[in-house]
Amino acid sequence: MKDNVTAPAIEVEDLSIHYGTVSAVSGVSFSVNQGEQLTLLGPSGCGKTSTLRAVAGLERPSGGAIRIGGRTMYDGAKRINVPTEQRGLSMVFQSYAIWPHMTVFDNVAYGLRVRNEGAAGLKEKVHHALDLVKMGAFASRNASLLSGGQQQRVALARACAFSPSVLLFDEPLSNLDAKLRAEMRIELRELQRRLKVTSLYVTHDLEEALAMSDRIAVMRSGNIEQSGTPNEIYNFPRTAFVADFIGSANLINGRLMPERSVDGRIAVEVDGGNILLGVSHGRSPGPQPTLSLRTVHLRLSAEPPAVPENVWPVRVKRSVFLGDLTQVHVEWSGRELVIRQTTAAPRGEGEKAYLSIDPRHCVLLEAD
Amino acid sequence: MAIVYEAVPRRPILSLQAVTMATLIVVVAALVLYPIYYLIEASLTISDPNVRPPTAFGFDNYLALPNYWTIILNTVVVSFVATIMALAFGFVTAWILTRTNVPYQRTLEQLIVAPYYVTPLLGALAWSLLGAPESGFINQLWRHFGGEGHLIDITSPMGIAWVMALFEGSVAFVMIGAVMKSMDPSLEEASQIVGAGRWRTMLRVTLPLVAPGVLGAAIFVFAEMLGSFSAALVLGTPARFYVITTAIYQLVSQYPPRFPLAAAMGVSLFAVMFLMLFMYRRITSRRSYVTISGKAFRPRQMDVGRLRWVLFAVCVFYVFLSVVLPIATLVFVSLQKLSLSFPSFGSFTLDNFRQALSLNAVRSAMWNSVALGIATATIGVLLTGMLAWLIQRSRLPGRGVLEYIVMFPQAVPRLVFAFGMMWAWLVFPIPIYGTFWILLIAYLTVFLPLGVRTISGVIMQLDKSLDECGQVCGASWGYRLRSITVPLLKPGLLAAWLLIFVSSVRELGASILLMGPNSKVITPAIAEAWFSTSSELTAAMALIQTFVIGLATLLFAELTRRASRHGEKA
Repeated sequence: MKDNVTAPAIEVEDLSIHYGTVSAVSGVSFSVNQGEQLTLLGPSGCGKTSTLRAVAGLERPSGGAIRIGGRTMYDGAKRINVPTEQRGLSMVFQSYAIWPHMTVFDNVAYGLRVRNEGAAGLKEKVHHALDLVKMGAFASRNASLLSGGQQQRVALARACAFSPSVLLFDEPLSNLDAKLRAEMRIELRELQRRLKVTSLYVTHDLEEALAMSDRIAVMRSGNIEQSGTPNEIYNFPRTAFVADFIGSANLINGRLMPERSVDGRIAVEVDGGNILLGVSHGRSPGPQPTLSLRTVHLRLSAEPPAVPENVWPVRVKRSVFLGDLTQVHVEWSGRELVIRQTTAAPRGEGEKAYLSIDPRHCVLLEAD
Repeated sequence: MAIVYEAVPRRPILSLQAVTMATLIVVVAALVLYPIYYLIEASLTISDPNVRPPTAFGFDNYLALPNYWTIILNTVVVSFVATIMALAFGFVTAWILTRTNVPYQRTLEQLIVAPYYVTPLLGALAWSLLGAPESGFINQLWRHFGGEGHLIDITSPMGIAWVMALFEGSVAFVMIGAVMKSMDPSLEEASQIVGAGRWRTMLRVTLPLVAPGVLGAAIFVFAEMLGSFSAALVLGTPARFYVITTAIYQLVSQYPPRFPLAAAMGVSLFAVMFLMLFMYRRITSRRSYVTISGKAFRPRQMDVGRLRWVLFAVCVFYVFLSVVLPIATLVFVSLQKLSLSFPSFGSFTLDNFRQALSLNAVRSAMWNSVALGIATATIGVLLTGMLAWLIQRSRLPGRGVLEYIVMFPQAVPRLVFAFGMMWAWLVFPIPIYGTFWILLIAYLTVFLPLGVRTISGVIMQLDKSLDECGQVCGASWGYRLRSITVPLLKPGLLAAWLLIFVSSVRELGASILLMGPNSKVITPAIAEAWFSTSSELTAAMALIQTFVIGLATLLFAELTRRASRHGEKA
């Protein structure tokens, strides 16, 4: 089925997409290695779905290049645009796009029939694909009678059945309820690992992206803001946008203290005189740097902790019970900081406490 | 299966889709614009119209139009009055059915669109029998019970407007009903919550919200009235009362014909209608922001207490006047030797039906119509299906232009269009004038908007990704069309087939000009019989046509029901 000579990986180079005068994607570049899953993550309208659809050939870009498995699928300069049906990839749609006039079997068999698969091979491959998603018992069922979750599984089986070299996912879990979504997230991840199929995944759901991806590219208004492993993205956000979009963070702006900012460390003097120590993560600070402090990395304690740096006495302004977490707002350097902690003891308004944070968790951001 | 990767993949210079699009644009443009071109040419001809191509051009024909100001005035008055009445019917019935708790709502809703299927021609024939000043049954009864002169005169301008309004009323109902149904009740509730009373809410919230929809309906209906033909032909021409369409028909069919003048009238009429339909589009496309939201809701219904039975009676009375009474009248008349309001028992007869069925002209015309209807519907569904798909779903350039050309016949009265065709095909090297071919081409052209609108409505409800998924699975356009698009569109395609079939069999305006001595069709034959034979025979013919259409519809519904049941089992 597949061409084994060239590596089936996706390369997108300087891709731009315009709708009339509106620019949806402006100069995006990334690549997905063989067997890897890359997730395009971002708020709605950031251009992630347009990028995915351009890779599929469903959207016509206005410039740049797209290569799949070493083969040029789109090249604006050379005027190449291979039609979707000849790109040899597969896709799971947000709406599932299960054909209601066919049985489950016919839905899954579609891609194989298009490829003139013989009857015996067809049957085997369809059942294999259905077994992968635990829908083997539903083969003869009319597709219009399936529940949302079942449709999702059939859509997945259909996308995998003809062993495509590349799988595209367009927010495939967004129409499921929260519990089913969490389940499918793990199942999908395992399936992707097992089949070792190169995947490009689009979502606006942070947890989904963190749980499933080998790498994440965070997109914002048509550009890639940062790309890296889930760990890197979470712990070392590059910009204020990423820090804020991936989880919740306090962004603290201050004056650089150059004499204390050496060897990857950085010190910032905040209005009100407090000094905040952090890490530069290889980034060079400007005169007014911003640091990102994750709300879960900040600690509150009744007694001063036994560390010499980044400890301040504060007063609790209010405290909100969120179930798994408690969110505490404190007054610090003339502004409010948000802390999320698992400690059961709720803190009363006006109570005194000590706020601390490990300098490794105070990350320098690049200027926006 | 091995895919051979090339360094630079070949891209087909012309995809199947692009070729199809180009072909369709050429075909549709030829169908629509060729006759219009000749119509305009004829209207500008000041040399001898029989010498073609013309040798001299000028605006004389247009400058002569003011001489016919009575006809223009007649048209405007009749259309205006008819529009007001049709809107009144439509508004009242739409309000009753969507905003009150009238009993048997569902049934009434189906009944109120029935007049549309009865057609203005049948209605005009029946109302002529009912309301002619001397012989009309209503006037006979009036005099029988001691009245003087006549109670109603259906051949007067008001009478003609009345008949036109009765049958256009259901169109207005559908349009206004859609607006009222799509109105979010929370908009009204919000007004009441801030303290406005029921009447204040109605005046300040409800009316402004439905006003654009009603205005849109008014313009659409008025444009239809300007181009309507049957009622004015049956009721007006015997008394030499002409509107523009009947005047054009008169000018074309009299001896010697005055083609250039008729063409100038036709072009002026369609220019006005085009303008109005353009306004209609503008109004309705701007309207969407207020009333339509994706949420499902039931419009709020007012509890009208015992008044609900009065409102129920109002709706039933409308259906009675437009459907029951006309059909009953035709049946009553067709069963008599000489129609009287108080016939003796012995004067009942089946002779009219026997005669109608034995008349070769009627029999062959009926079968011609059915055969033409089947051909038009079959080719039309293929053509309009492709057109609708390309307009709604393709990403090829040129689809905007295509949509405009396709919708063009909507703005041209069928009679005027047929006149353009007659004029165009007379000089066409292949002699098809006076054959079935020209009727087929005419039907296909004038029903383009009908087919495209019907099928587009279904396409728009289909999720785009159903097709895209087939594309991603590697299926070509042709394969997807076969395996995904057509099966999913089947209900819409079948509905379009039936609509085009019924419309073709009942077509009058285009057929009356284009049929030849060897290509008779039934509706013009009925109109001719009205003027040249007895009303009893005409009534029988009209009923036979209605019966055949009804039978064909039932047969078709049964066949498609079986086919779909069979398909589900497979």
